[in-house]
Amino acid sequence: MIEATLIAEILLAFSLTLALIFAYLAIRERDLIKAIVFSALQSVAFAYAYYLLFAPDIVLAYIAVGVGIYSILLIYGVSKTERYEEV
Amino acid sequence: MVISKVRPRSEIIIGLGVALLLVLTLFAVIAGATGFTPKEDIRPLAKFYLYYAINWYEKKFWAASPEAVNSMVWDYRGYDTLYETSVFFLAIIGAIAVFRIPGVKDVFSKGILSGRGLSLIVKTITKLVIAFVLIVSIAIAVHGNLTPGGGFQAGSAISIATLLAIAAFSRIFLEERKITTKLMLPIRVLGVLGIGLLALGPALIALSGIMSFVIQNQPKPWADWGFIPGVGPFWLSGNQFFYNFFEFVAVGAGFTVIYLIFSIPELIYKRVLKK
Repeated sequence: MIEATLIAEILLAFSLTLALIFAYLAIRERDLIKAIVFSALQSVAFAYAYYLLFAPDIVLAYIAVGVGIYSILLIYGVSKTERYEEV
Repeated sequence: MVISKVRPRSEIIIGLGVALLLVLTLFAVIAGATGFTPKEDIRPLAKFYLYYAINWYEKKFWAASPEAVNSMVWDYRGYDTLYETSVFFLAIIGAIAVFRIPGVKDVFSKGILSGRGLSLIVKTITKLVIAFVLIVSIAIAVHGNLTPGGGFQAGSAISIATLLAIAAFSRIFLEERKITTKLMLPIRVLGVLGIGLLALGPALIALSGIMSFVIQNQPKPWADWGFIPGVGPFWLSGNQFFYNFFEFVAVGAGFTVIYLIFSIPELIYKRVLKK
């Protein structure tokens, strides 16, 4: 049987790697609404990492702010400009 | 049927990532670990917090709250939270000042914009989710002094209910149910006033000659006055329960105001600006 601590460490490494991937995708994405969704998913991965690191207080605030408030602000910003990024 | 459309690589990565996260979480829960397993001996930092947050044997400096974070936020480091609350209050006043629309009330009641919202499936699910969000956020607020969470967390969680309602039903749905900026502003003010009175209350008592200080919660060796830690089976942790409740009201109404302002269509702004 694998130790519980080791599993938690693997989960932490995995969630942070996932956050990195989502951050990369958010930067690369041309569709800005999709990029916002990636960014929100990155927040979820971070929230999971906080949970693993024994910070449940942060998790509760981070989920609501990272997924809800932050996304709505960015969507509001995108609604003022063009949805697709052209390079 | 042949699916000719090739899925983009990013979608595959996300799918695999989320699936792997779920499998690993399941595996971790089965193995009995949802976080780092605590060590058998208490770490020095934890010892310090336990000694000062809730110490039944020596109540000289205690905060009467088993939640160490909450006792830091509303007791030991209370000034910081008071200033944070006032900054948040002023920030939303600024947002309202920038985005104010003088004639927004009759624009909506004339029925120029009628929202129909999303499909019936989405609406039904959203109704259930909104009910859960309301229950959970109130639970987070009133258990703030006992379990992780607190006023800010609960307030930002309850405002998500407004956001879901706007997305699934439209802004008119909230307007009809009287959830308007006009109603939310006095509620915010009440929340902030509650926090202010709780913080300054002990100082007013000090004027009558009894030694006490601003944001005092429990009796201290030099200030022999304090709030009641609990009434019967209800553990209030002095004034921390009320602080959490008022912060919940203030933050929840504040974020609701922001969402209501941001959901006003640009058409209306342009119409008002043309006048």
